[in-house]
Amino acid sequence: MLFQERSASPSRSLPPQGFAAEVSLLGGPMLFSPDAVLRRHNVNISGSGERTILFAHGFGCDQTMWEPVARNFERDFRVVLFDYLGHGQSDATAYSAERYASLEAYAEDVIEIGRALDLRGAVFVGHSVSAMIGALASIRAPEMFSDLVMVGPSPRYIDDEGYRGGFSREQVDELLDFLAANHLGWSAAMAPAIMGNPDRPELGSRLENSFCRTDPAIARDFARATFLSDNRGDLAAVPARALVLQCSEDIIAPVAVGEYVHAALPRSEYRLLHATGHCPNLSAPEEVTAAIREFV
Amino acid sequence: MSDPAEDLEDLYETAPCGYVSISPDGRIVKANRTIADWLGRPADTLVGMRVHDLLGFGGRIAFETHLAPLLRMQGHVHEIALELLTADGEKVPAIANAAEKRAADGHHLFTRLTLFRAVDRRIYEQTLLEARAKAEAETKAHQEAALLREQFIAVLGHDLRNPLAALAAGVRLLGRKEKLSDRGLAILGEMNGSIGRASALVDDLLDLARGSLGGGFVVDRDADAPLTPALEQVVAEVRSITPERAIEASIRIDEPVYCDRGRIGQLASNLLANAITHGSPDRPISFVAATSGDLFTLSVANAGTPIPKDVMKRLFQPFFRGSVRRSRNGLGLGLYIASEIAKAHGGRLDVSSTEEETRFTFTMPRSKPVAPPSE
Repeated sequence: MLFQERSASPSRSLPPQGFAAEVSLLGGPMLFSPDAVLRRHNVNISGSGERTILFAHGFGCDQTMWEPVARNFERDFRVVLFDYLGHGQSDATAYSAERYASLEAYAEDVIEIGRALDLRGAVFVGHSVSAMIGALASIRAPEMFSDLVMVGPSPRYIDDEGYRGGFSREQVDELLDFLAANHLGWSAAMAPAIMGNPDRPELGSRLENSFCRTDPAIARDFARATFLSDNRGDLAAVPARALVLQCSEDIIAPVAVGEYVHAALPRSEYRLLHATGHCPNLSAPEEVTAAIREFV
Repeated sequence: MSDPAEDLEDLYETAPCGYVSISPDGRIVKANRTIADWLGRPADTLVGMRVHDLLGFGGRIAFETHLAPLLRMQGHVHEIALELLTADGEKVPAIANAAEKRAADGHHLFTRLTLFRAVDRRIYEQTLLEARAKAEAETKAHQEAALLREQFIAVLGHDLRNPLAALAAGVRLLGRKEKLSDRGLAILGEMNGSIGRASALVDDLLDLARGSLGGGFVVDRDADAPLTPALEQVVAEVRSITPERAIEASIRIDEPVYCDRGRIGQLASNLLANAITHGSPDRPISFVAATSGDLFTLSVANAGTPIPKDVMKRLFQPFFRGSVRRSRNGLGLGLYIASEIAKAHGGRLDVSSTEEETRFTFTMPRSKPVAPPSE
């Protein structure tokens, strides 16, 4: 595993068998053992520190997207990365189309991971759709996350009366059609590419599976759950203090949407990044790191 | 003749693929003439455009959520499906390879895209997708048909047989316990025959449902008991039903036969019934069953009009009735079931038909097949 091999600190390894008993500190029922939860979501833990910072990937690729940023927190945080079901190295067999029809189910998975790790007062960093998944998780489990970093958030992608999400319903339908018709090009047949990275040999095995290869049916479901979501009404109920990180030019989450999220959250800060595009965690990891550090 | 040396400038501009270079913030900084021609936009108007403007909406999102992150993580991406928008708003399917050009310190300078038109390939992919969707739909239909078949078998096996059994019991009671006129007795005899025929038809349909519609005949084979009594009983039954017909039977089974005796009896019965239906009424039917070496053979022959060539081919198909009057025949399943029983025993059922005789011959290996070494 990526981070396990890099760090020598004992805290990085997965909890041993029998960790955390059957009942979580939050009192909810545990349907699966913590180990099973962590394995299913390919949870990787690295670094060491009093606080835990959990990074959640968005629609498209897996936890590798957070790596350039996450590594900067290893010396003073316990760093947690994971894959949503059907992404990266998660257990896609645990996926069910019915359950994951809305973002709530993804938020429940985040909470399940948080319980398996006994998280309290942790930092949740969510990219893209995960920003809203984190917001939903913090509403449901307020003790778990005290701080929420939302990178390129959007509570609703489709325009509405008095609201500009940036997408029309027709465009979202076109996108869903595109994913349906084009999965040969986008997911299933995405060729593994080998990066010239002799100083990072541990990446070799990861590269066999493309970071952005997702089961086509799951990618379609996730796109549907993401781009048809409307969580504007939830923002006011988010108990955690939040940081909205907005990119300068982002066709998926435009500046106006980031400002909307900032205004709707009870306790939030807003930062417009110089970075452009939808993935500042990859295109400008230093800027994103600095912004998160300043916030936490 | 001009100098054949390659001109790199010309290679870039007119290569049989499109070249586009984009800056880290997604703006086109250079494009070749080939891509400009494909898109119907002069190359100099392409420069400064955002790459998103060349993509359909789905492609833009895919670019942001897949292509751009992959390029950052891996440095390059191969075989990406894109749809390019021409100046006229038409979509050109393309396949792209992309690579980041990075400075010595790893700093991202620009991204190079190489594009190939993929019109035929996209049609091919589309066809594959449609074929898969169709196959999935067919599988689903098959599963539904299988369910229906199970219900059909249940109806035949239970719901149809039960009332027939009740009718048969009633007819038996009437014949034994009630005083009937001669006419009443005659009618009862007819009724009994009809019930027998209906029961036989239900049995045949059940065999069809289990066999052809299902996973094939299930036979319960062993070599523990003699086959001779089973065959003798079949011959005796047929004789009792049709006493007016002569059956010359010869059964010489000297060695055990690994078979389902009930099923072999059914096969014999079906062949005899066929001979009685189609053979000359005034000529005897020959019934021969014998073991010989490793084989068991059973043949039934009758005299009569030879079977026409075109009919021969369809004899063993279900519901094939030949040219016989409907009322006399069953459902046309007898020979089909006989041939299925033959197959289930690893054997075969052949037919020959000449002016002299029509003969059905069943042949099967006498012993249990040797199990394959694996397992």
